[in-house]
Amino acid sequence: MTTTQWIGARAPRREDPALIRGRGRYIADINLPATLHMAILRSPYGHARINSIDASEARTMDGVHLVITPDDIPDHVTQFPIVWRLPGQKDSGIPALAQGKVRYVGEPVAAVVAESRYLAEDALDGIDVDYEPLDAVTDCEQALEDDAPVINEEWGDNVAIHHVFAGYNALGECHYEPEVFDNAEEIVRGRLTIGRHSGIPLETRGIVADWDEIHGRLTVHSESQVAHLFRTELAASLGLPETAVRVLTPNMGGGFGNKWDRYPEDLLVSIASMELGKPVKWIADRREGLMSTVHGRAQVQEWELALRSDGTILGLRGKVINDLGAHLHSVGIGPAWVTGAAAPNQYRIANYYCDVIAATTNKTPTSTFRGFGGPEGIFGIERMMDKAAKQLGMDPAEIRRMNMIQPDQFPWFNAAGAVYDSGNFPACLEKALEAADYDRLRAEQEELRSQGIYRGIGISSYIHVSGFGPSPILGYLSYYTGGYEGSTVKIDPNGKATVYTGMIPMGQGTETTLAQVAAHHLGIDMADVRVVWGDTDQTPYTGFGSAGSRSNVAAVAVIKAIEEIKAKAVRIGAGMLEADAEDLEYADGMVSVKGAEEMRSVSLAQVAQQAYWAHALPEGDQPFLEATYVYDPPNFTTASGCHLVVLDVDTQTGKITFRNYVVVDDCGPVINPLLVEGQIHGGIAQALGGALLEEFVYDSDGQLLTTSFMDYLLPSFTDVPDMEIHHVVTPSPHTEGGFKGMGEAGTFPPGAAVANAVTDALTPLGVEADKLPITPNRLWGLIKEATG
Amino acid sequence: MMGQVAITLNVNGRNQTTLAEPREILADVLRDRLGLTGTHLGCEHGVCGACTVLLDGEMVRSCLLFAVQAQGASITTIEGVEQDGELHPMQKAFSEYHGLQCGFCTPGMILAGVDLLKRNPDPSPDEVREDMGGNICRCTGYQKIVESVLGAAREMNEVTS
Repeated sequence: MTTTQWIGARAPRREDPALIRGRGRYIADINLPATLHMAILRSPYGHARINSIDASEARTMDGVHLVITPDDIPDHVTQFPIVWRLPGQKDSGIPALAQGKVRYVGEPVAAVVAESRYLAEDALDGIDVDYEPLDAVTDCEQALEDDAPVINEEWGDNVAIHHVFAGYNALGECHYEPEVFDNAEEIVRGRLTIGRHSGIPLETRGIVADWDEIHGRLTVHSESQVAHLFRTELAASLGLPETAVRVLTPNMGGGFGNKWDRYPEDLLVSIASMELGKPVKWIADRREGLMSTVHGRAQVQEWELALRSDGTILGLRGKVINDLGAHLHSVGIGPAWVTGAAAPNQYRIANYYCDVIAATTNKTPTSTFRGFGGPEGIFGIERMMDKAAKQLGMDPAEIRRMNMIQPDQFPWFNAAGAVYDSGNFPACLEKALEAADYDRLRAEQEELRSQGIYRGIGISSYIHVSGFGPSPILGYLSYYTGGYEGSTVKIDPNGKATVYTGMIPMGQGTETTLAQVAAHHLGIDMADVRVVWGDTDQTPYTGFGSAGSRSNVAAVAVIKAIEEIKAKAVRIGAGMLEADAEDLEYADGMVSVKGAEEMRSVSLAQVAQQAYWAHALPEGDQPFLEATYVYDPPNFTTASGCHLVVLDVDTQTGKITFRNYVVVDDCGPVINPLLVEGQIHGGIAQALGGALLEEFVYDSDGQLLTTSFMDYLLPSFTDVPDMEIHHVVTPSPHTEGGFKGMGEAGTFPPGAAVANAVTDALTPLGVEADKLPITPNRLWGLIKEATG
Repeated sequence: MMGQVAITLNVNGRNQTTLAEPREILADVLRDRLGLTGTHLGCEHGVCGACTVLLDGEMVRSCLLFAVQAQGASITTIEGVEQDGELHPMQKAFSEYHGLQCGFCTPGMILAGVDLLKRNPDPSPDEVREDMGGNICRCTGYQKIVESVLGAAREMNEVTS
C-alpha cells in the first residue's frame, strides 16, 4: 500500500485501541465533581388526566436536592419544536413534562435530583400523582374512527396529517391516471403490516449538564447524533444565547437514528443544573429506555398493483397508515413521507398514487430510526412484486428484471418526487442470482418439497436515497434545517493535518473514514491526520448529521477544503521553488515542478512552515494553511442493491432456519471495505430483528408489555446468518469521489426478502407472510390456519 | 440513607477496599467506586452481557450480583485483560477483523471470547455462536465477531504449538 492510496484500503480503525481496552468514554462514564443524579417519574397509564401531583414528601427525603413537577418548570422554557413540518401537518412540541394529561406509558411526569441515582429513585416513591384514567386507543386504524378517544384534544381528531402523493415527479409532471387501475388486465392487492420496533442501541440514552454561573455557560455532555442542531434547539428552549451552550459528545454506544431526536430529559437535566449550579446526570435504565426512546416503523399498508398480463407494471396505488404514537416527535411524520417517496423503488412505475396518513395512538412516539421510512416502502413494493409474480404465474426474478429502470435511464424521476442519480439495478439482481445459484436453487426446491422440506427463496431489490441533502430541497419539503456538511482542514506548522467535522460518530468508524479521505487527498500518511469531532465549540455547524448516510457529504467537504489548501500550497511553493505556479503540481504531499528532469520539490511540511512564518507569502495570501468548506450537495445519491435469502420453514413449530444470505450492494466507490461490510452486516441484523423477533407489544389500555430484553427480543448470535457480500460499483455522477451513503442500506431489503422467502417456502400451503415480525408463534398460527 | 459496608475485592490483580451500600450491584461499584468504567451496563437485568466480568475465573454478569456477594473474590474486568502492557490476542483480533463498531458490547464480548477459548481452544464457528449467545451486539450482525474469536484462537494456538 503506498501512502497516498488510502481510499479503498481496509485500514484498521483508529477508534479501536481505546475501545478494546475498556478506555472508551461513554455518557455514563462522564463523572464530574459533585455531580447530582436525576431519576424520572413516568406515566404508568396509556391515557389519563393528571388531577394533581403532590411531591411534598419527596422534597424532604434524604439526599434530595430538587424535585421538578410541571409547576416547577420556569415560565420561559419552551417545548422542543418539530423539525419537519409538512404543509397541513398539525403542530405540537416535545414538552419537558406531561401537560395536564399523560398520553403514553413512560411519558415523564416529574423528576427528582439527588445525591445518587439510588436515592433519586427512592424519592420517586415520595411523589403522589392522582390520575384519572381515560379510554385509550392503541390501533392506528381504530384511532381514525369517529368515536375514537382524541389524544391531542386541540387537534380535534387523531390525524396528524393526511398527505397525498398524487403522482407528481420532481419535474412537476403528473403520472397518475386512475383509469389505468380500472382497465388493467391484472390487479394485485395486498394488505401489509410492519411491526413497531426500533434501533435499541445497547447504550441507553443519557445526558450530563453542567451550568457555569460565572461565565453563564451550559456545557452539555450529550449523546445527540446531531450536536449542533441540538445546541440550537436547546439554547432556544432554555432562552440562552446559542454560544452560551457547548455540546460535547463522548463515545456513542450506538445511535441508529434514535439519538437524533430531542427528548424531555434534555430539558429537565439542563433546567436542574441551572437551578442548582451543579452538574446533573441522567442515564436511562433499560426499562425506561424501551418506553421513552422513540420507536419506529409501525405501519399498515394497502396496495394495488396494476399490470399487463405479461407482467409489465402499469401503476401502483396505495394507502400507508403510520402508527405515530402519542404525539409528533422531532421529525414529525417524516418517515411515513419517505415511505411514500421510496415505494416505487427500482421500477418503471408510470402511474403512482399514495395516501399517507399519520394517526396518533396511546403509545411511545415513532420517529427517527435507521432507514427512516425507506425500509417500509421497500417492504411494500417488494412484497407486492412477489404477489404479482404469483398471481401471474411468473418467476419473481423475471417480473423484477422486466420492470427495472435501465442503467441508461438516469437521472430517473420517480412518480413520488424522488430523483435517482445513478445505478445499475439489473446488474445487482443478476449478480445476486448468480452468487446464489438461483436456477439450481429452484430445481432443488422442487426435490426438497417432495421430501417434506419447505425451502423458500426470497428476493428484495432496493434503493436508498441518501446523502441528504440539497438544502433548497429540504426547504421545499418544509424540513427546517440545512442539508450541508462543513469541514475545516488545518495543516499545522509541522505539516500534519487536522480535520474538524460536525458529524457525530456513532460507531461506524467516521473518524477513520474521514482520516482516510484526508490522507488520500493530501497524499500523506493516515497517521499524520487527526480528526476532531464532538465539540460544538471547535467544529463547523451541521444541521442534519444523520451520519449513517452522510459520510459521502462530509467526505466531499473534506476533499473540497483540501483542494483549497493544495492550491495555496502551490502558490507558496512557487515562491520557494522560484517557479511559476502554473508549472507546479501537488502530489504525494509534495509541491513539484511538473515534468522536470531533476526532481525539484518542497514538502507539505516545508510549505506549512513558510505559511506560518509568513516571511514571503504570495501577494494576497494570509498566513496559515487551512480552509473551511461547506458542501451542500446538488442532489441526493442513490445507493441500491439486491438481497437474496434462502431459508427453511419448520411447519411444525414455525421456526425459520437460514440456508444462505446473499447481498449485492452498490454504494459507489468504497472508502473502506472493512467498514462497509460491517455496516451492511449490522443493518441486516437489525432488520432481521424487525422481520422475525422484535416488536413493542401494547395491551388495549396502552400498557407496554415488552419492557425488558426478556420480552423484547433482540437478535442474538444464533439468529443472524453469515452473509455473503458482493459489490456493483456505480459512482454517483455528481459527488466528488462518487461516494454514496451506505450506513442505512442494510436495513431496507431484509423484511421483504425474508417474508418473500417464507411465503415462497410455504407455497404448497398458500401461506402469505404479510405481517412483520414473522415470529415463530405468528407463523405457526398462519400454517395452522392454512392446513386447518 | 442506608449504611455502608467495607468491601474488599481483588480487581485485576490489585486488592482494593471500598465502602458501598449492600444494595449496590457489583457493576456500579466497579464503575462508580473503583473508576473501572470499561464494564458497561446495557440492560441491568442479565440479558445483554455487556457487564460481563470474570469472578474467580468464572464468567458472571456484574449487574446481577450485589458487590457484597463478591466480598474477597478475584475479579477480571476488561481493564485487566491486557498483560504487561501487551494486548491480549482476543483484543487484537477484534480490531483486526472489525469485530466492534460502537464498542459498547465489546468489553463483555472480549471477556466472553477469552473465557470460551479457555474452555475450548479450537471452537467451530457454530460453537462460537452457541457459546457466546448470551452476549448481544447491536452493531456488527455478529459475523465479524465470530471471525475475530476464530482469528484469536488461531493466533493463540500458533503461539502454544
